[in-house]
Amino acid sequence: MMRDIRFGITVLIISVVLLVSMPCVSAELFGDANGDKQINTLDVTMIERMILTNDKESPLADANQDGSINTEDVTYTGSIILDRVGFPGGHMNIGMIFGPSHTLDPGVKWTGWYMRQAGIAETLFCYNEDLELTPELATGYTQLSDTQWQIHLREDVTFHDGTPFNADAVVYSIERVTDELNSRHNEYKHIESIVAEDEHTVKITTTEPYALTIATLTDPLVSMVSPAAGEAGLLNTTPVCTGPFKYKSHEPSVSLSVVRNENYRDGKAKLESAKIYYLSEGETRSIMLQSGDVDITIGLPLPVVSKIESDSDLRIVTDETLRLYFIFVNNAKAPLDDIRVRQAINYAINREQIVDAALEGIGGVSAIGMFPSVFPWTNDDLTGYPYDKDKALSLLEEAGISDTDNDGILEYNGEDFQLTIKLYTSRATMQPGAEMIEIQLEDIGIDVELQLLESAAIKEDMVSGNFDLAFYSYNSAPVGDPDSFLTKHFDSTAGFMENGWIQYSNDTVNSLLVDAKIAMDQSERKGYYDQVQAIIVEQSPEMFIFHEKQLVGQHVDVIGYVLYPNEITFLTKEMYKG
Amino acid sequence: MLDYLIKRLIQIIPVLLLVSIISFSIIYIAPGDPAMTLCAGPDGQVDPEYVEEFTKKYGLDQPLYVQYFTWLKNVLHGDFGYSYKTQQPVWDIVLSAFHATLKLAIVSLVISLIISIPLGIISAIKQNSLTDTFCMIGATLGVSMPNFWLGCLLMLIFAVSINWLPAAGYGDGGDLEHIILPAITLGVSSAAITARLMRSSMVESLSQDYILTARAKGVSERTITLKHAMKNALIPVVTMIGLNFGFLLNGSPVVETIFCWPGLGELTVRSMEMRDHMVVQGCMIFIALLFIAVNLVVDISYKFLDPRISYENE
Repeated sequence: MMRDIRFGITVLIISVVLLVSMPCVSAELFGDANGDKQINTLDVTMIERMILTNDKESPLADANQDGSINTEDVTYTGSIILDRVGFPGGHMNIGMIFGPSHTLDPGVKWTGWYMRQAGIAETLFCYNEDLELTPELATGYTQLSDTQWQIHLREDVTFHDGTPFNADAVVYSIERVTDELNSRHNEYKHIESIVAEDEHTVKITTTEPYALTIATLTDPLVSMVSPAAGEAGLLNTTPVCTGPFKYKSHEPSVSLSVVRNENYRDGKAKLESAKIYYLSEGETRSIMLQSGDVDITIGLPLPVVSKIESDSDLRIVTDETLRLYFIFVNNAKAPLDDIRVRQAINYAINREQIVDAALEGIGGVSAIGMFPSVFPWTNDDLTGYPYDKDKALSLLEEAGISDTDNDGILEYNGEDFQLTIKLYTSRATMQPGAEMIEIQLEDIGIDVELQLLESAAIKEDMVSGNFDLAFYSYNSAPVGDPDSFLTKHFDSTAGFMENGWIQYSNDTVNSLLVDAKIAMDQSERKGYYDQVQAIIVEQSPEMFIFHEKQLVGQHVDVIGYVLYPNEITFLTKEMYKG
Repeated sequence: MLDYLIKRLIQIIPVLLLVSIISFSIIYIAPGDPAMTLCAGPDGQVDPEYVEEFTKKYGLDQPLYVQYFTWLKNVLHGDFGYSYKTQQPVWDIVLSAFHATLKLAIVSLVISLIISIPLGIISAIKQNSLTDTFCMIGATLGVSMPNFWLGCLLMLIFAVSINWLPAAGYGDGGDLEHIILPAITLGVSSAAITARLMRSSMVESLSQDYILTARAKGVSERTITLKHAMKNALIPVVTMIGLNFGFLLNGSPVVETIFCWPGLGELTVRSMEMRDHMVVQGCMIFIALLFIAVNLVVDISYKFLDPRISYENE
């Protein structure tokens, strides 16, 4: 008996200790006297009123945190507004899916993506939230001839280590990417040379007229890095760039910490520091958001969305991204070599139903062509393939596929019409989407088999031509330009793997894509790409199913977050915790 | 004893050779080309020239046996190769992942022992009583609960509902705060197995004649249980604990992934997905070595628990 009591008391004490040691989660925005989660002149007035009249004092009015509210707080709040002292934006924990593994050098493979997401690295040009090309570390460019581009640089930028940002730094940063030792140098082989013309101007000469020259400079691979740090061999462990945040520490495949760059060119970041956690499991990300371990996370799994929406402390931000879910078609294999069969399958796929059922109505937007509506290069005149079962059946009948023995399954050449869809499951919406397509195609009488494999195995099958359809997911416009996707998939003269997989060849498309690469006038280029999009959608060498929507979950006190559809800009200087 | 040790150490060589051959062939038989997987960026697109360069650089176009012997030759020179993905030495990657797993394994083992040994003993002493039934129901539950489910449940209770502990993550190099939940998740299932074994082994040794003798000469029940019965009952249990510890040291891919713990299990699965063959091979060899080492330690510890067991050739 005594022992039981002793045990009970011990448990009680431990519980109390643990309860007391519970972390305090609410953030405090000192200076925000009126509690609107912003610091502006209204707060100055509010503090003055608190001092002069008997307005109720708010603890947040104590801007300089000295314990009392007086005229010093008025001055201090003024300094915050004028950016003389740091904004009290606090610390933010962020959940991401993928992160850097060993090196932090933006010029290696795709590490630059992570460095940009963390607010460390910047490029000469970038895409804003509307996917428009805008200067970042440049002020603009002048095209001198078909192959010569002059880029004008900002003059007020320094690297995190104090090295000035100038033409030499740009030449250094780009040459380390075009160097043959860089694994991605092939993507930049159009650059013949880059020279510094003066302190703040560089000239890029391309080997041939190449309209994408400026667009390729938006890839975080060509982030601007400090030549001093580069030559000292520091970039692997300390990325010295120009962004609003400076690198602080890194735990490989676990987390990355950054602090505010006190010398940022136009106004310091509002957050004082941030830590990015790399969380590969969707369920873990959602739990960490609910528990307050992270303030904001990308990639919420669909099943938890309704739960998070119902939580008044949390909010979901969502928008279309450039990530496309589509089907590679083996255009060389009968009967898929018949355009009518491909179109029929396209008509038989009910994209709205896939979005509603498999993506719970929020995970994506049904696709017409390969580009989403948020993308400026999209051909808006296309209608795509609205669900039409009768049309699908009549097209198939024209192609000689019909249910001759009345068993509910269509026959092709006297045998049941069978199709295999290969898919991989590392993306959560893949399998539910494919299952929906399976049901829809079986509904018109096609015998469909789903084959779940790893993406590596599917690629191998596609190389050997051993597939009918393969469900895949790609970013449809890597450097914010339509060229990459269209050329890799549909230009049969360019020799890319994707084109080899689908075995598609069309001379008009080939020549249009070449013309678009050398045309320097953007609206002329748009004209070419519009035509290519129209031909591809009509001929259906690939089937476009849906555009993914990014689901970002955040606490309501996260202020200033903007979703960028190209997924490479995340932490910005405007974000803070209110 | 020394002879025995040497004999055991020599036995390691064929075992490791066999493990390396099997894992090497399985990796290569599995469909998927490492070059194609590793050269694709987050966009999905693959650059064919880079793939070709990559294949040549790592000799992936060579026949399997050539690749294996090149690998073996390097290993015999103490070089486990470099990761295709990160270019870091494989051994460094494996060791740093093992460091994380080791921490987790030790805490899990402690938790599992704290739960299982007392539970087993109590059940055995109060055999067939209500306490016994409850303990064994608990043990059955522990065995049957899937790891990922228990892990998520613990996260929901301790991180979301009452917010005592961080939900997941590695903290500052794997601090105690972050280790508790994954360690409980892992500890519970191994505790359940150990508790059941402890109970049956204890029941058996309590029914031995020497216990009767001890009781007859008036030794206190406490001494009988803890000294006479428990020590003898521990022999099979130690084997089990050893094996369990071996499993814990391999890292649990599921638990480590859920809790974002950068350990050996997570590393193995991640490198398999990326077709980072050198790392997978390194993990396999390392895990095999661990198992051999743990088994050896278990066998040696018998001698201390039961002096009748002897490894001398007489």
